[in-house]
Amino acid sequence: MKKYILSLVVALGVVTGCKDDVEFLNVKSTNILLVDEVYGDPRLVLSAATELYNRIPELVEPANFGIYASFDEAFASGDYGRHQNREYSYDDWSLWDYGYIREINLFIERVEAAKALTPADKVRFVAEGRFLRANAYFEMVKRMGGVPLITESLTYDYSGDAAYLRKTRAKESEVYDYVIAEFEAIKSLLPKAPNEKSRATYGLALASKARAALYAGSIAKYGVNTPSVLLPNGEVGIPATKATAYFQTALAAAQELINANQYSLYQKAPDLSTNFANIFLDKANNSEVIFVEDYKLQSGKIHSFALDNQPRALTEEGERGGRLNPSLNLVQSFEKLDNTFAPLAINKGATTDYIYYDKPEDLFAGRDARLQGTVLVPGAIFKNRAIDIFAGIIQSNGTILTGDQLGQLKTVNGASVQVVGLSGPIEGYDGSAQGGFYMRKYNDPVTGSGQIGTQSEVWNVRYRYAEVLLNAAEAAFELGQNAVAAGYINQVRNRAGLTVPLTTGEITFDRIVHERKVELSFENHLLWDMKRWRIAHIVWDGSNSDLTTQPGKATEPSTRVYSLWPYKVYNPGGASHNKWVFRKVLSGRVTQSHIFRLGNYYSRISDGIINSNPLITRNPNQ
Amino acid sequence: MNRKNIYLTMYVKLVLLVLLVIVSKSALAQQRSITGKVTGDKGEALPGATVILKGTSTGTSTNADGIYTIPVLSEQTNSTLVVSYIGYVSKEIAVGAQSVIDVAIDPDAKGLQEVIVVGYGTQKKESITGAISAVTSRDVGRVHAATVTGTLAGKIPGVQFRQADGRPGAAATIQIRNMGGNPLFIIDGVPKDKTQFDNLSPNDVETITVLKDASASIYGSRAANGVIIVTTKRGAVGQKSTINLDAYYGFQNWTRFPKVVNAYEWNLGKAEAEVNRNGTTAITQAELDKYNVGTEYGYQSFDWYDFIIKENSPQSNINLSASGGSDKINYYISATRLDQNSVMGREFIFNRSNIQSNIDAQISDRIKVGLTIAGRQETRKNPGVPGGDDYVAPKFAILRNRPGERPYANDNPDYINNISNPASNWGYLNYKRSGYLEEVYSSITPQFTGEYKTPIKGLLVKALYSYMFRDSQREVFEYTYDTYTYNPTTQVYNKTGGSQNPYRQRVVNKIDENIGQLQLNYTNTFGRHTITALALTERLRKRERNVEARTVPKTNSLPIMQFADIVAYADADFTQARVGYVGRVNYGFADKYFVEIAARRDASWKFSPTKRWGTFPSISAAWRISEEPFFKSFTGDGRVLGEIKLRASYGLLGDDNVRPNNVDLDPFAYNPGYSYNTGVGIMSGVTTVAARDRGIAFDRISWLTAKVTDIGLDFSLLNNKITGTLDYFRRNRDGLPAVKSDVFVPSEVGYALPQENLERDAVVGGEGSLVYNGSIKGVRFTIGGNLSYARSRFIKPYNPLYGNSLLQYRDSREDRWTGIFWGNEVIGQFQSQEEINNYPVNVDGQGNRTMIPGDLIYRDANNDGIINSRDERPIGYNINNTPFLSGGLNLTLQYKGFDFAADFSAGSMLAINRRFEQRNAYQNTGNVPRLLFDDRWRRADPLNPDSPWIAGKNIPLRYNDTGHSNQRDSDWWLLNIKYLRNRTMELGYTLPTLLTQKARIQKARVFVNTYNLFSLDNTRPYGIDPEVQDENGLQYPQTKLLNFGLNLSF
Repeated sequence: MKKYILSLVVALGVVTGCKDDVEFLNVKSTNILLVDEVYGDPRLVLSAATELYNRIPELVEPANFGIYASFDEAFASGDYGRHQNREYSYDDWSLWDYGYIREINLFIERVEAAKALTPADKVRFVAEGRFLRANAYFEMVKRMGGVPLITESLTYDYSGDAAYLRKTRAKESEVYDYVIAEFEAIKSLLPKAPNEKSRATYGLALASKARAALYAGSIAKYGVNTPSVLLPNGEVGIPATKATAYFQTALAAAQELINANQYSLYQKAPDLSTNFANIFLDKANNSEVIFVEDYKLQSGKIHSFALDNQPRALTEEGERGGRLNPSLNLVQSFEKLDNTFAPLAINKGATTDYIYYDKPEDLFAGRDARLQGTVLVPGAIFKNRAIDIFAGIIQSNGTILTGDQLGQLKTVNGASVQVVGLSGPIEGYDGSAQGGFYMRKYNDPVTGSGQIGTQSEVWNVRYRYAEVLLNAAEAAFELGQNAVAAGYINQVRNRAGLTVPLTTGEITFDRIVHERKVELSFENHLLWDMKRWRIAHIVWDGSNSDLTTQPGKATEPSTRVYSLWPYKVYNPGGASHNKWVFRKVLSGRVTQSHIFRLGNYYSRISDGIINSNPLITRNPNQ
Repeated sequence: MNRKNIYLTMYVKLVLLVLLVIVSKSALAQQRSITGKVTGDKGEALPGATVILKGTSTGTSTNADGIYTIPVLSEQTNSTLVVSYIGYVSKEIAVGAQSVIDVAIDPDAKGLQEVIVVGYGTQKKESITGAISAVTSRDVGRVHAATVTGTLAGKIPGVQFRQADGRPGAAATIQIRNMGGNPLFIIDGVPKDKTQFDNLSPNDVETITVLKDASASIYGSRAANGVIIVTTKRGAVGQKSTINLDAYYGFQNWTRFPKVVNAYEWNLGKAEAEVNRNGTTAITQAELDKYNVGTEYGYQSFDWYDFIIKENSPQSNINLSASGGSDKINYYISATRLDQNSVMGREFIFNRSNIQSNIDAQISDRIKVGLTIAGRQETRKNPGVPGGDDYVAPKFAILRNRPGERPYANDNPDYINNISNPASNWGYLNYKRSGYLEEVYSSITPQFTGEYKTPIKGLLVKALYSYMFRDSQREVFEYTYDTYTYNPTTQVYNKTGGSQNPYRQRVVNKIDENIGQLQLNYTNTFGRHTITALALTERLRKRERNVEARTVPKTNSLPIMQFADIVAYADADFTQARVGYVGRVNYGFADKYFVEIAARRDASWKFSPTKRWGTFPSISAAWRISEEPFFKSFTGDGRVLGEIKLRASYGLLGDDNVRPNNVDLDPFAYNPGYSYNTGVGIMSGVTTVAARDRGIAFDRISWLTAKVTDIGLDFSLLNNKITGTLDYFRRNRDGLPAVKSDVFVPSEVGYALPQENLERDAVVGGEGSLVYNGSIKGVRFTIGGNLSYARSRFIKPYNPLYGNSLLQYRDSREDRWTGIFWGNEVIGQFQSQEEINNYPVNVDGQGNRTMIPGDLIYRDANNDGIINSRDERPIGYNINNTPFLSGGLNLTLQYKGFDFAADFSAGSMLAINRRFEQRNAYQNTGNVPRLLFDDRWRRADPLNPDSPWIAGKNIPLRYNDTGHSNQRDSDWWLLNIKYLRNRTMELGYTLPTLLTQKARIQKARVFVNTYNLFSLDNTRPYGIDPEVQDENGLQYPQTKLLNFGLNLSF
């Protein structure tokens, strides 16, 4: 009996007695670091910084390229709603990310308080924190206008009254001033390291400063064209009197960077189109790129741009690919080599009076090399294969035979004939080249990039030297220094094969706008540029606009994306057999014309934000 | 088959072998036998009565005719037979030299002595004070569903059921009183999760008890959604050793699936749709004629349904068990093997092996120990299909693939055809071409129990230690493949597509769970007072580790993962810990008045240290009015009104599954700092792990608390022929997470206030059940039915804010039923173009220019002349719920050797919102379901836009036009489901004892059984099973099972 009682007591001890309840319940997490642990080790501080770099706000990133098709640069081959919405929502493009601001403020405060870091580490981390914060405010002011400037972490004390935490919106100009001053203040604290592309550097601080000042200057100058886009206290709108000073700041910052000779235009490949495409692909000693979000295979940080945009016939992954189709609107904007503009020559008047081409790519010959550096045209070579794009065959009697399957074969006079390209286009067929073109810019030609398991490590370029030159040119132009402007703009054009320099007299607003359009397409500039020049409501005016015949004019309406569909002539024995003709097409999926309303210049501040802080004023025209 | 699987299969075979050896041995040991009939007081045969030889382990039970046969050694002439039967007084008879002994026994005057499993113990049924229902192996055993959950449909009042997914091994959703979330599952005394409950072998289940009210509060912080308690079978002391074989083999078919059109209809409809939209089409009459003939190359139709779906897919189950006991030891050991194939061919499979070994030993007068071991292995295997759920693509294929598309180029199976959606080409979805996915779950749960009877009368000390180890491994290998297009002129197969993406994934998950319990039990009777008391402490610690690795292999032929190919690796390790202290006192007076007071103090690791502990008390009482003298004088002998018991209970229960912002609470939310690995960044070319600040401490939240009230009535009538229960209940839940929104903290502070336990909701309802036991001319039968209603209602949001009165009307939850679906109301279809032209309301938002005859007209509920979301009104129920109103019907008949049983379950007040393929013709440019194609509004000549309209029931066709106003959520598409379905039907025949005795078989029964044979419902026209939940209607529906089986007892 005693031994039973004893074993029972032992069992009781095993079940309950080993630990007290508090200790038993204190389970330690396997993935949480204490604040002191993080700020005691520079490697972990870098981990905290990495998180903040990863979350740099950006309208378009490689994984959400779809927004490009919201304007007139591209057709969304599979996301047709973008062409069926007339109005842009006032909520579009909004950003009010004070959670991010708070984390940056905490980062700066904690680095400053850290005892275990070297002074050099502290200086660099604090400067990086200030860069990230200024950059975040720049992103916010672009979208919302003036926002409350909060530069230290705030905490509510649960007292039941949080009124003491309310801040008003700063003036739009105050936010720009803050951003510009911060970039200026940290430039010398950051390393002068042009090969550092993924962290803040001296070069990045100056490039950012030039861009911010240019934006502020153009809002000040062109705001007069949209007098209702204004708030009385200056939260929205910058007085025209400030324009010149901003342009001077922009030019000075750009010139400081240019004269520092840290960066230069990328010129490696003999083929100028390939050279242009390689700016975004070549990570080894890239002299042009200033700041990127970097990606790396087999690291977990990869993106799906190539997966979603590989030409449909070359797809490495089932039906994936071909989602973003550059539009004819964009393609015809690229100049001819004599610096003139012209629509693509596809017919001699009547739409069925075709011009015949031996090869489809011949239509695009003799144009700005950036065209084929940005866009894969029908017949272009990608991954060593020609892109097979045609919408149908035209028989001798003029009838068109087409199909609804990629590369479909049909029987014509007893012979099997391919009636659709292997990459389409077929209307409504997701991923087929419904716009007539595919993306080359950012499209990774490496095998495996189109596989869902591998994907792409092409980096996302946020700042590059060509933009600095164009910013300098624009600021100089706005300051009336057209010769200076021509000098900078011609560097960029020369690299693209436009070897006839623009003269001082040819530097116009249209030229400035156009150059940015073709150099910086799909690089997250279009919307911000159109907004700051206050021409977004003119170009996207909601009219059922036809494709313009003046592609070089900045204010031509362009509310619907047009496609260019090649056809093959099928007339065995005839002279034009196997030649190519083209038709301009407005897809049946494009059912609406985009309208950019005055209320879209600054995104809506949500009711939730205003309810929780009544000092926040609403944006105009909404 | 992997190594583990081999081991388990070997083990199962070994157990079967050993059991067979035992069978043959026991069959040899008999000398002579006594036979006879056991009858009740009215001379009726009593099947299933127990007959044992007193003082030995020899025993048997009577067959359907009440006949028993028991072996006796020749020299044992002074033996005594003990005959017992539930609800009857046991009787002892001296054997002497007789060989035929008929026994008549009398009903126990105390009525049913049924014992019910309750929280941490058992209780006599009459003393139960809470809303507790139970089913036994007899109810569960005749349902041949793959999971235990599947056996419960319609069986228990207050338990709601919906099985949306019917794939092999899939389980149903069950809810107790629609209280939301999963109930807590207790298996043989310890908490387990739902998958473990689902995958018990139904053969091993002895009883399933459902605690629906405050009686669950003894389980504390996880009991607010009710508790389901399972006990597995055990041998009884003094029970004759019996070997049971239970096996069936059956055939499965889908109950329903949408049908699609052929290539001619597809093209005809497409032409029609294009004319409807644009006025023109490129499709010519000549082409349509060729499709109609359907013989020319390129114009043939292909039936993907027939290609993919294989009818009469097999399902089988074999269970072999042995149970019995001497006066010191009792045992139950069992092995079960289930194999379930799918209608998608022999490569989409599920199988499960279970073993159960329950042994108890009385090792001294005071000490009893036990060892319970449950083991199982589940395997799911199917071809490796790209995308998330591997069962989706084959079903999707039936609607996604066009009827003009064919799986193989030129019908040559060596060449996979390049079709518009390669991923749904069934031609390559097989082990050979696309690879495989295999998931194997293995678990073993040994459980030790000890019981010590103290010298103090009625005081027991019990201890339990349970360990569970579960290992699961997932292996996925998706191969690369090429697709081809055939050129009939050149007779060449051109490679035109495919996938170059090889995908290899391994996930290894391990769970170790340790549970310890120590309890003191006291039972005593003082005169007419009965007292039972319980004190218990329980601890649980569970650790889960998960490792996932993924590679992009260079070859399809080697499954080993190479480091060089690794593209992803993830490691996780979680531990949870819980502590509970339980106390309970039951007091009964004169078998008439019963009171139970219980409380549990519980702690969970997932809350901040200051908010970990909660106390959950409950009180309940019952009054057996029928035991009162005044009542007896009123009802006389009790033959009409036998028993009436009133019950009432009230208690506090907890739910630690708080879901702020509708996501599970992070167990370390209270812990600030940095989360390490919130992604990676490439910093200066180096992969760097990111660490994110966790924000302010989320430490102001704790349990949800639920206050449950239940008032119930148990009764029996007509001499216990009719028994029934009625219950009303209400659960008020407090502490739903919300932010204290009356303090306006500016969003510029950069964080949202942490949620607190602020809001309230309730579930109200009632249920009842009625069973009639009777016999007419030798046919014994029972008819039972139950009906339940339970619905949740939101009570009090915390400081709700609405921008305007419309938003308040639409979004307010205050004191409203939950589960309301909003949509437009269809008031008709346009009958002519003229009607459209003159129609005053702008239906499509574009001046009705997109409308044609047959299109839907919506009610302009706010009379503003335009239809939009402001015209939406409540039109039905939520689409994800179990039915608010549900019920069951159960019928059994017994006549001589025949037995018949049928179970029905019914549901109402649930809905499906038909979308995608159910709503949009040519969704994704794929096929058109007949339900949209047949009887549609169309033109007499589909190619001529000026030809007259032919009216139909369905809207006119459009080609993949999801933006059209017909596509709005409306009562045209929302279907409020009502169904009554036949769950099981079984007809069995027990061979006469005389026959089986010769083969030394105690009982032999054959049966034919069906599951889901038919259903009366309103979802039939849409080709969907009434319980399907996926809005496209393409869920794997439940299957109809027809099976043939055998029970043998030795």
